[in-house]
Amino acid sequence: MIINSLFYIFSSLLLISSVFVITSQNAIFSVLFLVLSFLSASCLLFLLKCEFLSLVFILIYVGAIAILFLFVVMMLDLKNNSKKDSLKYLPFGFIIGTVFLTEILLIVKETFKTNPYKTNDVLYNFYTNWYDKIDSFTEIQTLGQVIYTQYVLQFLIAGNVLLLATLAAVVLTLNHTKDNYKTQVIFKQLSRNNKNVLLI
Amino acid sequence: MNIEILLFKEIVIFPELFLGISIIYLVLHSTFLAIQKKYPLIQSSVLYLSILVLIFASFLVYNEHLNSVEMSCLNNTYVSDYISFISKIVIGSLSVFCLLMMHSYILTQQINNFEYFLLFLFSVLGLFLLCSSNDLLTAYLAIELQSLSFYVLAAFKKNSTFSVDAGIKYFILGAFASSMFLFGSSLLYGLTGSVSFDDFQVLFVNTFPGQPVSNIAFYEVLEESFHDTCYSVCVTYPDLIWLFSTEIGTIFSIFDCQYDVRETYVNFNYLENSIGLDSILNSSFDVSLIKFALIFILIALFFKLTIAPFHIWAPDVYEGSPSSSTFFFSVVPKLAIFVLLIRIFYFSFYGFVDSWRHFIILTVIFSVIIGSFGGLNQRKLKTLLVYSTISHMGYSLIAFSAGTFESLQMLFSYLIVYSFSGLCIWSIFMSTQLKNTYTQKQNKDLTDLVLLGKSNYMLAIFFTTVLFSVAGFPPMIGFLVKMGVFLTAMEASMYFVALVSILCSVVGTFYYIRLIKILYFEKVLVGKLYYPINSQCSVLITLLFFLFLFLFCNPTLLFLVSQKLSLLIFF
Repeated sequence: MIINSLFYIFSSLLLISSVFVITSQNAIFSVLFLVLSFLSASCLLFLLKCEFLSLVFILIYVGAIAILFLFVVMMLDLKNNSKKDSLKYLPFGFIIGTVFLTEILLIVKETFKTNPYKTNDVLYNFYTNWYDKIDSFTEIQTLGQVIYTQYVLQFLIAGNVLLLATLAAVVLTLNHTKDNYKTQVIFKQLSRNNKNVLLI
Repeated sequence: MNIEILLFKEIVIFPELFLGISIIYLVLHSTFLAIQKKYPLIQSSVLYLSILVLIFASFLVYNEHLNSVEMSCLNNTYVSDYISFISKIVIGSLSVFCLLMMHSYILTQQINNFEYFLLFLFSVLGLFLLCSSNDLLTAYLAIELQSLSFYVLAAFKKNSTFSVDAGIKYFILGAFASSMFLFGSSLLYGLTGSVSFDDFQVLFVNTFPGQPVSNIAFYEVLEESFHDTCYSVCVTYPDLIWLFSTEIGTIFSIFDCQYDVRETYVNFNYLENSIGLDSILNSSFDVSLIKFALIFILIALFFKLTIAPFHIWAPDVYEGSPSSSTFFFSVVPKLAIFVLLIRIFYFSFYGFVDSWRHFIILTVIFSVIIGSFGGLNQRKLKTLLVYSTISHMGYSLIAFSAGTFESLQMLFSYLIVYSFSGLCIWSIFMSTQLKNTYTQKQNKDLTDLVLLGKSNYMLAIFFTTVLFSVAGFPPMIGFLVKMGVFLTAMEASMYFVALVSILCSVVGTFYYIRLIKILYFEKVLVGKLYYPINSQCSVLITLLFFLFLFLFCNPTLLFLVSQKLSLLIFF
């Protein structure tokens, strides 16, 4: 019961935040809503007991890609705040949206079957979730047991690859020479406020 | 399990462990040294430290007594046999030579970061692991370790646009090739449920070459009279039953099915047959998806080897990146990738030899033609050497595609001779530094070596000898191995390939001889001035030259080693 209610909470959060990603005027707000939608999607995955996948989702999408978006949005000095364009693409988007929605509905209709027994039938109660009855490891436990025993060599090589990537990124970006630095001008940065930045 | 047993069991991986741990130690050491207030120039000390580490690692490889034919550890993902032993020793010595030769070049180019040498060490670690990887996962990770460090090595001179351009090109195409490798391996994993080369060998080494019949028909025949057939086969050809059951296992790509078949074979009590042995021998399962996956893996490895249809990136990248990095790219990694190719295609998928041979022969002809004709109008020495590399990789693929013991022997002796002659050419390239106004511009035109015969007599003689050997002139070792390659092609009845590549080899001789003409017989009054070569470099070049003379006098050493290697591959 709790799981069902949690599912409804997170899925509605996902829907609302993804609507706000599109409609929000401020680009930073939309990136933050994107992060929120990623988080709620990974919570949904948690409820489906895909712990590893959801954690990877948070690590990669929130930790790397969304932050990258945030940096890009902050770097680009966007000041375009016209509201006319939002309605211009509405019919086009509406058509595409309806097409995908009908596809999804068709697939749902094809693949998911309802319980053939009536609700007040005796046989209705025969449904058992066998997965709950099995005493099983979680996904992360299983992966950890395999990674640190069977695939220890591969794990070490992957660690070396990561070390190499870090080293390479530092080498390629660190600039010891003073002449062509790109630094921020402190005065310019401090004089910014919410009136003159980042409105689309 | 106490600690001693653990150490004894996993001691096989000791050289790689040593190399990895000393890389981490070197990172810490040189970071603490370098991040001081005055940024001291520590590149020489780090260079010599990394050479020391490489020598120790090679010694550990050499020290590992191969009492058994093959020793695998870490759940059969890492194998230590004679082929990995020899190729690791060759790679270790090649990279030690490379690092020693590039010292003066790095000082003039002012590459002051200590990380440059650590990247070489990382790539050598990747190559070592690649030589003895026994499954697709380890091989992929080793390739990534190796090629990631190569991308950075190509882009290392940040103030040169060419170098950054080369790095980005190399990165994009290398990532593309890696994704192809991953796609092929995932298909293989989906078909067989395993990534280990040993499992592939058990599954596929005995497959029939032949026309595939449709699976459904075959299965129906099986269901009707399977037990009878099995019995008759079992009585007449006891070996064949394993082979037959393997096939059925692979049709449905489920191991259970395979074991079912074997159990029924054990439990049968039927007698006479209804379909004969001939129909089994003539029928075979549909392997087209496996071939598809294998071709993806082959293309990915061809990208890494610069075989001709996949070579477009190579001239730009090799020309643009710093010469010391190019030196390393073109000399060291080819042998390890060939070891991986042999492990996949000779060790595991030898049953498909007729399927992949056509494809390889096509690329061989492409790369031999492009390598010989593309180099004709090059004026840059590095690009010329790239085209020479392309044609040489084509010749070694001829030996690879023949599929016999002799061809493997020739492949290895060709690769070893190719690597050492490339080492010698590149050492001479690196040690003749021009005295011009722009000291950092060291990408040589061909005319920069004009009249080297007058200005540095011995160096010109060494260069000429090595060029003759690479071109395949009769008394040299290069001639012997090239002739061996063509002979194996003829023995495998690949007359057309042998004819085309011999003709192209004659064409390719032109640009080697043109270099010799520039060295000696150019009609100019004033030659170029070079910085004096330090004694370390000259001793090394002389050593390499004497190695060539020795191999010419006594080629048996090379051939014996490579023959032992080729005989031990299938076990």
